[in-house]
Amino acid sequence: MTEPVSELLMFQLGARVFATTVRDVVRIGNIADVPRDALVEGTSLGPTFARQRGLVVAAPEGGAESTLVVDQVLGVRTVPESELQPLPAFAAAVLTSGAISGLVLLDEAPTLIVDLPILVRERLAAAPPRPSPPAATA
Amino acid sequence: MSQVRPSSEAAPSGAGHAGQDAWFFCLRILGGRYAFEALLVTEVVRLGPLTRLPAAPSFLPGVFMHRGEVLPVLDIGQLVGQGAIAIRASTRAAVVHSGQWKVAVISDGLEGLVVIPRRHLEAPPAESSGMAEFLSGVARDKLGTIAVLDLPRLVEAARSRAVPAGSAGT
Repeated sequence: MTEPVSELLMFQLGARVFATTVRDVVRIGNIADVPRDALVEGTSLGPTFARQRGLVVAAPEGGAESTLVVDQVLGVRTVPESELQPLPAFAAAVLTSGAISGLVLLDEAPTLIVDLPILVRERLAAAPPRPSPPAATA
Repeated sequence: MSQVRPSSEAAPSGAGHAGQDAWFFCLRILGGRYAFEALLVTEVVRLGPLTRLPAAPSFLPGVFMHRGEVLPVLDIGQLVGQGAIAIRASTRAAVVHSGQWKVAVISDGLEGLVVIPRRHLEAPPAESSGMAEFLSGVARDKLGTIAVLDLPRLVEAARSRAVPAGSAGT
């Protein structure tokens, strides 16, 4: 009997490597093709440097897609689900973000697993309102 | 790492003895002596490399892997606003377990098990600031005063001092 596995998309943001479940990513794109107001940056994961790629995340309840700006996409890793560790109860209770869902040990390095929909939702909720476009003149 | 649960010979639990002595696991934090009930401390571990968590409060400097389990590190000094406990390669932590909460408490040094006659236990001071609000009692032995920490109260304070998930800024 084969062990259930999970496919993780690895990406780099700033100096750190993160993982997210592949099913949360609609596609990987070039951020130059994305309207600026659909880009998501400045999340709790930290600042971006190279801003090379975008992870397109589906919006909840049929809203517009959002594109999380990342520095690099490093590939996909398949790991046994038994190796995915949930966040300890204490850490989950005191973190100011719900976007870190757990850890996985990859190449002997603990790697944080990010819940992209929650990350994007939190960032959009915290974002200052965008200025209204100027009113059309006759 | 070492197991710290006292043996049944060393920690009598029979009805005739249980009420006479209380066992504590004692640590030094920022110049003071603090303790948890010994039965809550499951082992002492050397800290592995810490993985810092985004959006973590200062009293949660990170998590580390221990025997395939992710353990959160609690800096009590930061929690009570008395300054950070220095983390070095030699830093060890007491793994404290109460209910659903399991944390690795770092300290400046570990004294280990101490036995206090129950008649030497006192109620905590009535202050509601600093470390005092997290104490379940105060004990005295020949080395001085030991403040007995209440882990569930520490955890509840930590939760109340963290901004709820979803309302964080950047």
